[in-house]
Amino acid sequence: MSVTDQGLLQRDKDTMTLNMGPQHPSTHGVFRVILEMDGEVVKTAEPEIGYLHTGIEKTSENKRYVHVIPMTDRLDYLNPPGNNLAFCLSTEKLLGVNIPDRANALRVIMCELSRIASHLVWLGTHALDIGAMTVFLYCWREREMILDLNEEISGVRMMTSYIRVGGVAKDATRPWLDGIRDFIEYFPAKVDEYERLLTKNPIWLDRTEGVGTFTREEAINWSLSGPALRASGVNWDIRKSQPYSGYENYDFDIPVYSNGDIFDRYRVRVEEMRQSRSIIKQALESLPDGPYKDPDNKVSLPPRETLHTSMEALIHHFKLVSEGITVPVGETYVPIEGARGEVGFYIVSDGTNVPARVKLRAPSFMAIPGMCKMMEGCYIADVVGIIGSIDIVMGEVDR
Amino acid sequence: MTGEEIVEKVKAGLADSIQETSLPQGDAVVFVAPDSLPAVAEFLKNDPELKFDYLSDIRGVDYLLEEREPRFEAVYQLYSIDHQHSVRVRVGIDEDNPTVPTVSNLWKGALYPEQELFDMFGINVEGHPKMERLIMPKDWEGFPLRKDYPLTTETVAFSHNRDFKSELVKSKPPTR
Repeated sequence: MSVTDQGLLQRDKDTMTLNMGPQHPSTHGVFRVILEMDGEVVKTAEPEIGYLHTGIEKTSENKRYVHVIPMTDRLDYLNPPGNNLAFCLSTEKLLGVNIPDRANALRVIMCELSRIASHLVWLGTHALDIGAMTVFLYCWREREMILDLNEEISGVRMMTSYIRVGGVAKDATRPWLDGIRDFIEYFPAKVDEYERLLTKNPIWLDRTEGVGTFTREEAINWSLSGPALRASGVNWDIRKSQPYSGYENYDFDIPVYSNGDIFDRYRVRVEEMRQSRSIIKQALESLPDGPYKDPDNKVSLPPRETLHTSMEALIHHFKLVSEGITVPVGETYVPIEGARGEVGFYIVSDGTNVPARVKLRAPSFMAIPGMCKMMEGCYIADVVGIIGSIDIVMGEVDR
Repeated sequence: MTGEEIVEKVKAGLADSIQETSLPQGDAVVFVAPDSLPAVAEFLKNDPELKFDYLSDIRGVDYLLEEREPRFEAVYQLYSIDHQHSVRVRVGIDEDNPTVPTVSNLWKGALYPEQELFDMFGINVEGHPKMERLIMPKDWEGFPLRKDYPLTTETVAFSHNRDFKSELVKSKPPTR
């Protein structure tokens, strides 16, 4: 498609059409927005997506349930355990599997670590977009520690695929638990450090306060979710309202602010990092003993050592590896609170070992029309701040 | 409200428009015909006891392989922020005339998923302000998430039989 087709070269208007993206460092991926400018003020913002479309939903319809899990990592690539968990919870609901307490605690620890890592990436890049370089370097330093912990438990730094149907991939190791203990002791002082750099910084306040505001009603109507919704005064966190994986056993607060501007979204996420750290601490202290995956071998592989002695175990192992899990006919949806908001997989099963339909509810995808609505009437320089404050990940937008 | 209470309430308020209800694993599910969707959506949003003010998602499903009538389905996931309950509205859509009315006048968040419904399944959303491709390129042919759309096609790089080259391009069966 040429530039003339899209009206970029029309000269009979008083406004200027400005193309931003898809190759632009502050659009956080391949997001493109066509801005209609009146001087320095944005009149309309027209989003363009699809540059990272990989057809994961179509591929999922042709892969066994276990094979879908590594693909979910690639959707929201800053919060892979959240996607794994969402897919596994929906599958487990159709299967009617009970998850052992230890597996639930390990899932919670993994998800909260990755929420911190995701918020660190957001804070670093968002601050960098607005012009604060130092925060970026500090955030990457702490995120590196979490990636090292991921490597210790799953062998991979980002695409962990640690959460599986029926439990988790392997039991917690001593170095991993010790590493997390060190991290949660070390981390609170670092969050204070970020706040010292930004929260009362007059440049930061000028750029964020009262910019890109959304009222409570607007935020709900435009289907924002997660931190962006809570910054507009909506007290809704799925970990509290529809608890999953034992979140009801932990004591934590949901930060809610009411101005709905970029600054409040910043405050919500910074406070969430502190709360996530507190959840990890509680989960570590109360980490129960027991199996780390469902002992029912119809869903999860039997332990390696039993294969030599038990005929049953060998049969189950063979059936699971060669055929996969067979899921009863039905359709279900289980939402979870990901780092960016409500994440969930709508799964339709036709009673075979391959899902008939897999649909991701992606918070970034749902937030894009609302985000472009926010830009209207803002200055061109604030567009970058607004995109950063919603924290979109194009992997889950285009799927 | 629990799933059962929601289903009872919807049945009592909209007896004519509801085709069927079910409660799989405790979730409230309501089956609606495309014509009665606007009335049902308005009731679900504005009834003070239900108050489904948040649209979570809209998904399309193609039931071609299960030979179900109607072939397509649009599934609306609604949530109430105040009452903290959810409902799933399943709208069966005919293969010959795949159209469904828009709900974007009630929930602005529906704009994108409805456009995706057209992009991926070829379901026309009546009253949508911008019924065009969203994720796929503007000149794309076919609707990728339909079950009769091939997963991959094998392109023939070279053939002595030039006239029949296009016939050699075949759909590749999925590997499981």
